[in-house]
Amino acid sequence: MIIKKISLENFLCYYGVKEFELSNGLNVILGNNGEGKTKFFEAVDWLFNGDDRNLDLLVSAKALHETEKNESFRVRVSIDVEQYNEKKSIAKSFIVKKGGKNESLISNYMLEGVEETSTGERCQVDGKSLLNRVFPFQIRKYSMFKGESELNIFKNEDALINLINLFSDAKHFEKYSEKCAFLRDKAEKAVEDATKCDKKNQGLYKKLTSEIEDLKNEEYKIRVHLNSVEEQIAKIEGKLQEAECHVKNADALETINKRIKIIEGKISDINKMIDENYTTSLFDENWILVNFEPIQKEFSEKIEKLNIKKRELQSEFDRQIGQKEGEKKAKTELLNNLIPLPVGVPSKAYMEEMLKDEFCKVCNRPAPKGSEQYDFMSKRLEEYLNSQAPVEEDKSIKVLFENDYTNRLSTLSVSHEDNLANLRKIRFKIKQLFRFNDSRKKDVEEQILALEKEKADRERIIGDSSIGAEKLIDVLKNYNSWQADKTLRYKEKIDYQKKLDDNIELIKKKTEEKENIDLKTAQTFQIKTREILRDIEKIFVETKEKKFDGFIDQLEKKSNSIFESLNIESFTGTIYFNKKVIGEKMSVIPELQENGRTFYKPNQSLLTSMHISILFAISELAFEKSEEEYPVIFDAPTSSFGEDKTFQFLNLIYETENQKILLIKDFLATDKTSNKLVIKKEFSNVNRNKAFWVVLERPFDKNNLSTINTNVITL
Amino acid sequence: MNNLFDKWKTKIPKYSEEFRAILFDSLSKKFGGSEKVKIDLGKHFSNNYELYMYAFFIGLYNEESPSFPEKAKKVDFSHPIQYWGSKGTRLDRKDFTNLQEYMFMALVAKTELNLIDLEKGEIDEEDIVKELIQTMESYTNGGLTIIKEKLEDNPNYFLQSTSFLNMILDSKLGLVSKKTQVLE
Repeated sequence: MIIKKISLENFLCYYGVKEFELSNGLNVILGNNGEGKTKFFEAVDWLFNGDDRNLDLLVSAKALHETEKNESFRVRVSIDVEQYNEKKSIAKSFIVKKGGKNESLISNYMLEGVEETSTGERCQVDGKSLLNRVFPFQIRKYSMFKGESELNIFKNEDALINLINLFSDAKHFEKYSEKCAFLRDKAEKAVEDATKCDKKNQGLYKKLTSEIEDLKNEEYKIRVHLNSVEEQIAKIEGKLQEAECHVKNADALETINKRIKIIEGKISDINKMIDENYTTSLFDENWILVNFEPIQKEFSEKIEKLNIKKRELQSEFDRQIGQKEGEKKAKTELLNNLIPLPVGVPSKAYMEEMLKDEFCKVCNRPAPKGSEQYDFMSKRLEEYLNSQAPVEEDKSIKVLFENDYTNRLSTLSVSHEDNLANLRKIRFKIKQLFRFNDSRKKDVEEQILALEKEKADRERIIGDSSIGAEKLIDVLKNYNSWQADKTLRYKEKIDYQKKLDDNIELIKKKTEEKENIDLKTAQTFQIKTREILRDIEKIFVETKEKKFDGFIDQLEKKSNSIFESLNIESFTGTIYFNKKVIGEKMSVIPELQENGRTFYKPNQSLLTSMHISILFAISELAFEKSEEEYPVIFDAPTSSFGEDKTFQFLNLIYETENQKILLIKDFLATDKTSNKLVIKKEFSNVNRNKAFWVVLERPFDKNNLSTINTNVITL
Repeated sequence: MNNLFDKWKTKIPKYSEEFRAILFDSLSKKFGGSEKVKIDLGKHFSNNYELYMYAFFIGLYNEESPSFPEKAKKVDFSHPIQYWGSKGTRLDRKDFTNLQEYMFMALVAKTELNLIDLEKGEIDEEDIVKELIQTMESYTNGGLTIIKEKLEDNPNYFLQSTSFLNMILDSKLGLVSKKTQVLE
């Protein structure tokens, strides 16, 4: 849709009929402050959105003044548009009948529409519906901007969401996902009811349900906290950045801040290496045995003594028995009354080896065949072999020891003998760890010193700043505490994030538990229905999200490419759309970032460039979606830009496709010789399709509204 | 083969009730939270039996084994020795069930036992095990008393991470072994 002409009749400062024959592309309307720019904008706004209220405030004072008593005149705003090669015009008007003593009668307004077909046939139609057809309400809302502050339509959290829903395909999925959620709810309820009927599980089921409910409430609370911490971080970052922009040597400051971050990281890493869980090591590393050696010795000696005592008693016992048994007696005699070694010592293999070698390797003496020694050894071997052979127990012979506890105790003693070396190392290990920890602590101290030095440097740099001493003290005082605050909040953020993850994990676990009960008790068809409905809902929700994200992605790309061209040779950050979900509510906030760091306090001109970039991106996307272009009307969008940047800006948006109507106060100056308002010659270099100058008819009395009349000069 | 150790470890040793509130409830944190958090929170034992074992070794290394007064009420924490130090669900800890054997060895070394009569079958093994447990309780009693005195002298003593370790290193036997190791 293109606006071909806008006519104003007796609307405020526009006395009589004033016409703007507009062109496609860029239309620039110049005008000094107070000479009719904003009134023009308000007139169009009234046509599009105005109602019956306060119509008397729209009447041209000059028209009223010039009209005789009981005579009437018309206040009217109209547009002629072209849409798909058809001409249409829409006019809003009301009648003013002048009474006596400043009293006039004002009619209600009328909204008329006229359509002209390609064959030139004209017919009267309903103005309101025609307006909505040529320029849909939602698009109109994002097409008119008054002043820089109004550009930030995203201050309202819902604004961008509405817009995205309007243009992205996500909206098509909305109704389906809602329906699916409803059906899934029903299916879940059916399963739940079936499960509840089962008396056995009732208690557990109820418990799990209420636990999940609690956890979900908890999750919501954590999210609220997390969000508020994030907001606090944003606020602190904003303050820090504001303070930093007063600092002359901003680059150095950034370097120092980076170094500080690195040192802080190092400190935290070293601290992680310090292991001071000494109490745990007493057990896990067996440090508690550090003094155990003498006790182990005591134990071994005791067991050894017990062993000897036991064998002594055994041999005494055997000797007594042996008086009855010649064989055993002979054996004991051989030993000169000493306590014999246990049978089988040395082992069979060693004995056989010694016999083969004819050498006693225990006393290191030869034992030739036939010698006393040789016979003794072969006898011992024989004795061992006999002891291994199954013997029929002689029930008449009494056994001295019924039990054998000693054997196990000996094993214990021997097995721990080897471990003594390890026990001796414990003290050394403890010392080693202490040394390690001490040297790490020294490292930490060194890093802390370095950190303090950097912080002092930072203070020096902040001190060297462009603001007055009084304010400087304020900034200095707060800067460090803000930094400390920031670190703290980041920690909190990490904590909350962790809590949130744990909570989600727990909900998942409890839900699984609950569903296991469902599986056991509910009917298969109910479970299956629920699963299918869940899957379908998931498909719709995920597709919706994908479409939504896809649209944001596109918007981000387009906004950034426009933003980049708007800011050639100056700062080029990137526009980033921050999507946040809290509970059911989602919001999308555009942010300015540089290397992943958000700019919380960009200057006005940067902010304006960002907003304009987004708006143009929206308008381009709207064109792609509806295959129709719509005009945008900006009133003084670039007042923070300065003339040079405005010049660049105009040349840039000249390149964009759709129709633009821009009202600006630049490029006007007072000629020194004639003292008249003139257009600067620089304006001739501005690319544009059409330009107008709205200027008050001179002379006029600024205290008397009835002398005010704005003329429209087509340049 | 008969095994005293296996029998002994099924027992639950007791301690005097006077230590329950002042030591067990305050120094060992047994409820909730992960192991890690407990360590970070303060310098604590993560189980009652850890404090029990610790007190035993403190008594042992200081050669303090006063038996309970007749009237003293004895309590336990219903956890047989064989489970002490098993890793179980304590993910960030190691298994230290091997310490059970060391405690047992110490008890055998320190208890007057008539093992010969046991072997002969003239004494019941249950009686021997009872004696071992009694020794264990006595040393623990000694250790708990020492810890309690430390705490009475300085209620903040155990807020340092090295306190429990130092008490082991600076015990009577600890000082001896330190000296011999220095000489070596």
